[in-house]
Amino acid sequence: MPVNAVRTAWRITCLNFRAQLEYRTEFLMNIAIGAIWQVSVIVFATVLLTRFTGMGGWDTSDVLLIPATRMLAHGLFVLFLGRVHGLGRSIQEGRIDAYLLRPMPVYRQVQLQYFPTNAIGDLTVAMGLMVGALGRSHLDWTAGRISYLIAAILGGLLLEAALFTAVASASLRFPAADYWGRWLEELLGTFGSYPLNVLPRAVGGLLTYGLPLAFVAYFPAAVLTGHGHTTGAPYWLAAASPLVGLVAYLLSRFLWRWSLGHYTGVNG
Amino acid sequence: MIGNIEVRGLTRTFHTTVRRPGFAGALRSLVNPERVAKHAVSDITFDVAAGELLALLGPNGAGKSTTIKMLTGILTPTSGEARVAGVVPYRERERNARNIGAVFGQRTQLWWDLPVRESFAILRDIYDVPEAEHAARLREFDELLGLSSFSDTRVRHLSLGQRVRCDLAAALLHDPPVVFLDEPTIGMDVVVKEQVREFLRHQVAERGRTVLLTTHDMTEVERLAERVVLVNHGRLVLDGTLDEIRRTFGSTWQVRATLADPHTPVGPLPGIALIRRDGPQVVFGPDGPAAPTVHQALKQVIERYEVTGVAVDEADLEDVMRTAYAQAEAV
Repeated sequence: MPVNAVRTAWRITCLNFRAQLEYRTEFLMNIAIGAIWQVSVIVFATVLLTRFTGMGGWDTSDVLLIPATRMLAHGLFVLFLGRVHGLGRSIQEGRIDAYLLRPMPVYRQVQLQYFPTNAIGDLTVAMGLMVGALGRSHLDWTAGRISYLIAAILGGLLLEAALFTAVASASLRFPAADYWGRWLEELLGTFGSYPLNVLPRAVGGLLTYGLPLAFVAYFPAAVLTGHGHTTGAPYWLAAASPLVGLVAYLLSRFLWRWSLGHYTGVNG
Repeated sequence: MIGNIEVRGLTRTFHTTVRRPGFAGALRSLVNPERVAKHAVSDITFDVAAGELLALLGPNGAGKSTTIKMLTGILTPTSGEARVAGVVPYRERERNARNIGAVFGQRTQLWWDLPVRESFAILRDIYDVPEAEHAARLREFDELLGLSSFSDTRVRHLSLGQRVRCDLAAALLHDPPVVFLDEPTIGMDVVVKEQVREFLRHQVAERGRTVLLTTHDMTEVERLAERVVLVNHGRLVLDGTLDEIRRTFGSTWQVRATLADPHTPVGPLPGIALIRRDGPQVVFGPDGPAAPTVHQALKQVIERYEVTGVAVDEADLEDVMRTAYAQAEAV
C-alpha cells in the first residue's frame, strides 16, 4: 500500500474513532459487549482451571494456550479486518455502489467504514487470557517459540479473515449468504477453544479439512506444547498453520476480486 | 475529447428465477427453478459531447439507473462498450472514478457518522486534491449551495435537501469532467430544487462539465437539458433535442387567432391544420410528423393572416413525455 494510502487509511480510522467517542454511552457499551461476547471463553477457561487437570491428554496450562491464541487472533481480526463480517447489510443498503465510485479498493473501504469499538473489549479479554496462559505455561519461551506464537496469532487472524471474506464474496452475489457468517462465528466460538482430539474423529476431520478451524489455534498450540504429532494431521501441516492462514487469505482476496467483478448490485 | 461519453450497443442482462404462484409453485421453483433472462438495458447507443447536459429519461424500471451504473463502473455490461472521458469504466474502475462524480439522490456517499467537513477532508485525501484547491472549491460550492451552515453537522443529522447538496459538493470536489446524477432532486422542496438546478447550470456553463442526468421532474429537464435520450424496457426509444421530442410527441399545441376580417378565407398552412372556425375565431393545430414547433406555427399564422389577437395552448413537457412513454409502451 503506498504511503499516501496508508496516511488516508490512518486519517479515516482516527476520524471514525473520534466519531465513536462522541457517543460516550454507545462507545462504552460497545466495549462491554465485545468483552461480554467472549463470556463462554472466560467460563470455559475458569472451569478448566478450577475443575480439571487437563483435557484430551493436554495439561490445563497447555489447553489454555488454545483459547488465548484464538481470542487474540479474533480480537485482531475484529480490529483490522472484521468489517468484512456482516457485509450483506451494506450490500442491501447499496453502500458497495458508493465504494465502487471512489478511487480506492472496495475491500479497504469496507474495512474503513467504521471503527470497531467492540474490538477493544475483545482484545482486553484476549490479552488477559494470553497473559494468564503464558503465566501458567511450563514451556521455555525461547525467541523461536515466541516468534512462532506471534506468527500463529497473525495466521489465525488471516484465516478468520479468509473465512469471512469468502462469505462476503458470496454475499456480493447472494446477500442472504450473510447468515453463513453468523453460523461461522458461532462455530469458531464454540469449537475454537478445545483440543479437537476430544471430538469424534469425523468432526475433528471436518473442522480441519472442511472448515479449517484447527489451523487457527489448535494446531499452533499443539506444535508449541509438543502435541504436534498427536493431532491426527501430518506434523508438517500442523506446523505450517501460520502459512495456511496467509495462503487462505490470499485465495479469499482473489475470490473477492472475482466476485466484485460479477457484482450485480441492488435495485436494478 | 476530454469529458465525452460514448455508449455503443450497451447491454446488461440479469438472470432471475421465475416465481410460480402458490405454495406448490414455490416448492416446484425450489426443486426445478425456471431461469429467465431479463434485459435491463438492451443494445443502447448514444453519445454525450464534452460540456453537454443530457437528460436520460424513461419510466420506472426503464434501465436508466442500470445504464448509469455501467457508466460509473459499478456494473459490468453483458455486452457492448462504453467510454467515459476515454476510459472504459468497468475495466479501469479506479481510473474512471477520478474522472467522474456521481450522485444517487436516494443514497448518500458520505460518511454517515462524520461531520460533513470531515467527509470532504477524507475525499480530498482519497483524490489527492491539493489543500489550496480544495479550500477554493469548497468556498465556491458554499457560495452556490450554502453549505457552511451545516458543514459541522454529522451526515446522519442532515435533512434530505442538505444531504443531497453535500453529496453534490462531494461529487465535484475533485473537479471531475463528467458528472452522473441519478434523480438528484427527488423529495426536495422547490427552493432547494432551484438552488441545485442553478448549481448544475453553473457547473455546465461555467465549468464545462459533462452531465448525464436522470429525473422524473420535467421542469428540471426543461430548465437544464439541451438533449434528451428516452429509454423504455431497456431500449433506446428516442435521442433528440427537446424541440424534436415536442415535434414527435407533443402534438397537442393549438394556436387560436382572431381575424381582423371575419370573412377572410382560411385554409391549412404547411404542417399546420385548420381545426375549426367560428366567425373570426380560428384554431390551428399541428398536421403530421413534419409539423412546426408552436413558435414557428405562430409566426406562420401571423405572417399569413391579419389578426387582432392570438393565444397559444401548448402541452407542457410533462404531457409530451406522457405521450412519449405511452407510445414507447405500445411499441
